[in-house]
Amino acid sequence: MPLFDKTATELSSMLAGKEISSVELTKDVFARIKQVEGQTESYLTLTEEKALEKAAEVDAKRAAGKPLSKLAGIPVGIKDNICTKDVRTSCASRMLENFVPPYDATVMKKLGAEDIVVTGKTNMDEFAMGSSTETSYFKKTKNPHDLERVPGGSSGGSASAVAAGECILSLGSDTGGSIRQPASLCGVFGLKPTYGSVSRFGLVAFASSLDQIGPFGRCTKDIAMLYSAICGQDHYDATSAYRKYPSFLAALSAENAKSLTVGLPKEYFDGVDAEVKGKIEEAVRCLEGAGVTFKEISLPSTSYALNAYYIIASAEASSNLARFDGVKYGYRTPEYDGLIDMYEKTRSEGFGDEVKRRIMLGTFVLSSGYYDAYYKKAKMVQKQIMTEFDAAYQECDVILTPTTPATAFKIGENIGDPLKMYLSDVCTVTVNIAGLPAVSVPCGKDSKGLPVGMQLIGPKFSEQTLFNLSELYELQSGFSYQMPLL
Amino acid sequence: MEIDIKHIAKLSRLKVSDGEVQKFEKEMRAIIQMVENLPQLDASGPLIDPQNPMKLRKDIVDHPYRREEILKNAPKTQAGCVVVPKVVE
Repeated sequence: MPLFDKTATELSSMLAGKEISSVELTKDVFARIKQVEGQTESYLTLTEEKALEKAAEVDAKRAAGKPLSKLAGIPVGIKDNICTKDVRTSCASRMLENFVPPYDATVMKKLGAEDIVVTGKTNMDEFAMGSSTETSYFKKTKNPHDLERVPGGSSGGSASAVAAGECILSLGSDTGGSIRQPASLCGVFGLKPTYGSVSRFGLVAFASSLDQIGPFGRCTKDIAMLYSAICGQDHYDATSAYRKYPSFLAALSAENAKSLTVGLPKEYFDGVDAEVKGKIEEAVRCLEGAGVTFKEISLPSTSYALNAYYIIASAEASSNLARFDGVKYGYRTPEYDGLIDMYEKTRSEGFGDEVKRRIMLGTFVLSSGYYDAYYKKAKMVQKQIMTEFDAAYQECDVILTPTTPATAFKIGENIGDPLKMYLSDVCTVTVNIAGLPAVSVPCGKDSKGLPVGMQLIGPKFSEQTLFNLSELYELQSGFSYQMPLL
Repeated sequence: MEIDIKHIAKLSRLKVSDGEVQKFEKEMRAIIQMVENLPQLDASGPLIDPQNPMKLRKDIVDHPYRREEILKNAPKTQAGCVVVPKVVE
């Protein structure tokens, strides 16, 4: 009986009931990886030996009757911009090709304490800059539902690995849609948590005021379980919020979602593919059937969000990526004439074109004479977007939109045109700008058989409400994840 | 709008070869044309987030690393130090 296609929730109770061992489960997942990795190319590094050791350790603990968490022994893939002690963390960049962190990110420490089994490090767009995982220096990940198409990005490897059964759960990071967009394109669930709820310590910084780590899974319960394990205050991240978090899985209640009022912002449906729109409308009718109330709302500044996002994110990236200078760690050019030459050659050879474009855009918008016209204006738009969300949440509890304007595009289709690529984030960036939580929930497939995702956006720290609504949709629609044939 | 790629690249500590200048200039011009479409909003009021104040942790060393652990990732080391090109004449 295969195990790789089951949810973490199912496997957790099978492990607890001693129907299966963690070693069996881990072996099954690695057998699946061996079978399909050649096709999907989801991983940059596999850690099979460590995984089997950890699985054996969990089994021994269980045999000895020690108390274990629900996640104990579950195989999890980790995006390659999250620092893992003694396991290479490359950010899919030549710059960090040989970087082996001497420490664990806070999320890895937390998951280590929960006894998860790490399968390996997943592919991504270089430094998380991209929407297709094509800017990776090492390889191009394929969408398991159609191998000629992209898995989305930047957490494309984490999404495709969960979608193809190459791990049960995974972690990604989301700065402008990098969890939700690939989750949508790969037909799985993904959560971008409230800014400040998950520690960023050990996450290689892209845009520090927007970045959040979050979970991927094949059902609502799975992402609720993984989110419960990674959230929490951390004094290594100054932006980490001081508050207590419940067990989101224990508190999960589809029933509680029936009385919700959900807003449909008309601006998010402009320019959306007709088939995607059709699927979203079906999902709305399905939830209406369960008693959820819908109303049309307006978020007028939405059309400026993408512009403000690229200014703010690139400005922060240009300053964050200044640390890659070839001195303390990372790549250094072999030949140079003096310090400045070493910096320039190192950075030009170590970074790919998309990273260079964003560094230069960020440098430009912050440079003398342009700061007020670009960066300051973008920050004002950010404030306006936050104000509009606050006003919208006076009228409704949750906002529902498509996650992406279209389903997965072909590999190579958008890579030559940065602007076209940026447009795939048009529905997701507002959430990062406003610091809100949002989940992408699979809601059917288009006529090409490609997954469609809907995005549920809530006020800050409303993850429980989002999980409840997502669970209600799963139950009402009879959703169960269909593993693609590979 | 005129984009001086060579100047921006210099500020960014990047080298753009003569062959790449045109390509980057074209792309950057298109990107800047897209992002510069922003409304003129009321610029009064603070941009900070007063609801979520930040607290700094106490300045206490609680994460000690051994020197060799840290230097393992350095591109060039000698006698327990990072090697860089000569900066002072």
